[in-house]
Amino acid sequence: MVTRRRMLAGLAAASLLPRAGWSSVGTPNYLSAARAPDGTYLLAGLTSIGDITFTIPLPARGHAAAAHPERAEAVAFARRPGTFALVLDCRDGAIINTLTAPEGRHFYGHGTFSTDGNTLFTSENSYEVGEGVIGLWDVTQNYTRIGEFSSGGIGPHDLKLLPDGQTLVVANGGIETHPDMGRSKLNIPVMEPNLSYLSTNGTPLEQVTLPPALHKNSIRHLAVRPDGLVAFAMQWQGPKTEAPPLLGLHRRNATVDLLTATEQAHRAMQGYAGSVAISGDGHFAAITSPRGNLAQVFDIKTGALIVSHKLDDVCGIGPAQTGFFLTTGTGLVGRIRAEKREHPLQWDNHLIAIAPQA
Amino acid sequence: MRLLALTASLLLSQPAWALDPATLVDTAIDAHVLPGFAALTEATGTLKNTAAQDCASDSSALRTAYHQGFDAWMAVSHLRFGPTEEGERAFSMAFWPDTKGFTPKALSRLIAAEDSAAVDEEAFAEVSIAAHGFFALEFLLYDDRIQTLGSDAYRCTLIQAVTNDIDRNATEILNDWQNGYADLMRTPSEDGPYTTDLAAVAELFKALDTGLQFNADARLGRPLGTFDKPRPLRAEARRSERSLQNISVSLEALEQLAALMAAQTPSQADGLTAAFSLTLGQATELENDPAFAGVSDIQGRLRVEILQQYIGNIRDIVLQELGPALDVSAGFNALDGD
Repeated sequence: MVTRRRMLAGLAAASLLPRAGWSSVGTPNYLSAARAPDGTYLLAGLTSIGDITFTIPLPARGHAAAAHPERAEAVAFARRPGTFALVLDCRDGAIINTLTAPEGRHFYGHGTFSTDGNTLFTSENSYEVGEGVIGLWDVTQNYTRIGEFSSGGIGPHDLKLLPDGQTLVVANGGIETHPDMGRSKLNIPVMEPNLSYLSTNGTPLEQVTLPPALHKNSIRHLAVRPDGLVAFAMQWQGPKTEAPPLLGLHRRNATVDLLTATEQAHRAMQGYAGSVAISGDGHFAAITSPRGNLAQVFDIKTGALIVSHKLDDVCGIGPAQTGFFLTTGTGLVGRIRAEKREHPLQWDNHLIAIAPQA
Repeated sequence: MRLLALTASLLLSQPAWALDPATLVDTAIDAHVLPGFAALTEATGTLKNTAAQDCASDSSALRTAYHQGFDAWMAVSHLRFGPTEEGERAFSMAFWPDTKGFTPKALSRLIAAEDSAAVDEEAFAEVSIAAHGFFALEFLLYDDRIQTLGSDAYRCTLIQAVTNDIDRNATEILNDWQNGYADLMRTPSEDGPYTTDLAAVAELFKALDTGLQFNADARLGRPLGTFDKPRPLRAEARRSERSLQNISVSLEALEQLAALMAAQTPSQADGLTAAFSLTLGQATELENDPAFAGVSDIQGRLRVEILQQYIGNIRDIVLQELGPALDVSAGFNALDGD
């Protein structure tokens, strides 16, 4: 339990330490939120062999995090509909800053830094009008809110920066919610998810939608390959009797490619892909389903499903050099088809890869 | 005696599926699902016939039939899977919350244009989903503006179209349950929506939990808004003053489902009975505030907040005790839904 007093003590400590790179916290490859056996929550650094390099307490359940490209600094987002996010010094857990969503906005739980680390972009709900916005925070000015622009749809969830450093890709899930109603979904019959490309100053560049029959396939999570290929994972909100594909690929100015397998393989995912990643070698894309207890790996070139890996409550997934690294709500971490390490922690939905240090 | 006690303690410590999931699914379908949807078609049939004879918006016979039909829908509205999810049927029955005001807009458009879709059942099935169901009917019967818009004759036709459509919809849902979906739930298979009996139990469990959640978060949470900004005009079905009634009927149905789900686990059953009784008692405390107008004053707000809290207590028992006892607790990530 992080008391307010302890948080404030941490805040005071922050100013005493000069900022340092990720090597100062054991050079983790990934960040993930987790729940400890005593019911408290934390953020941890993980290496590619499953060692924990640091843990720092969180005041409530986290969702995703954003890793600063150079400094050992992470932004931990509360679960939606959270209105705050913590900027943490990963060396000692000191709270460097608290981001508070402006009036009438809440965070969706994802954010990403600009290449130089000077700007943070966050996905938010402008909930009185039910429209998605991307919030901008100036990292160099102690994470001051400096603006926002339309996300290009309703319910923006994950967002990523393309390798050009100048284009954001946003998964607008299409689902309207209002914090007065918790997580109840308000517009399923008329939802229209999309994938939006925006310049970093908010100019809409391109928008991709799904075929009408798939308008209830909520686009939620993203992975980007160094050449700009975007993999997106979906969550099916339509009837359970249907089992549509849950992984798509897209490249700017091209058509969407939905990766299909047998109906049985789709059905096994229970209509729910929780996370997506592209392998470090760029050959494979994978989605995880904690409901189906399954990770599915597709060959990007052929579009074929090549591996179905059973694993209880699997959700977090990130790139490994030639494959993938997984985490589960039961505490396991490790590569697909390899021995897993077990930690006494429940790993939360997302594994965030930290950019390799120069 | 000692042996008996030992046997009892062994039974209690058995993993849950020493219990019988198939029987649980059967009784929930036979005692809750099918009778609920049969009662719905009976009420919607009466509603349709009443509107055919008397379609004045202030007709007391029609208003009574509206309330009875709405009650019958509320008693099954938590069963949001299978037949109700085909072709948007549940939303077509009850398009709420309508955050962008689609229902009054769609009705105004139909009335202004005297759209002929109102005289053709198939054409009407294709008009905006927001112009269907109990909330559209509520606007036609109780909203000051819609009630006087356009001609009496066209509004009469529209009321008949809406009630016909409600009845057609209810009948299709019941047919699908009787002629297929009940069997799919009872007999799990690799190619069906349920691969195991436990998966079917999990579906019913989820319906119970999300039904409770919707009452607390949406039906109460929306009008409560925040302390500084209460939102009484967001109360569900406030025009016909049935905001509280919707919750009461829904809770009674959820109480029945919870009792059936807990039939094989007596200690959870007792806890649920007590929690529902407390909650329904609190609902009667609100009888003088049927549309939650009181959320704007401190006393009234407190009563609504207590009701919301009691529903939360039921959910705690459902998620923390009943779920594990039935072995349907979803994983840390599986339940997250983001």
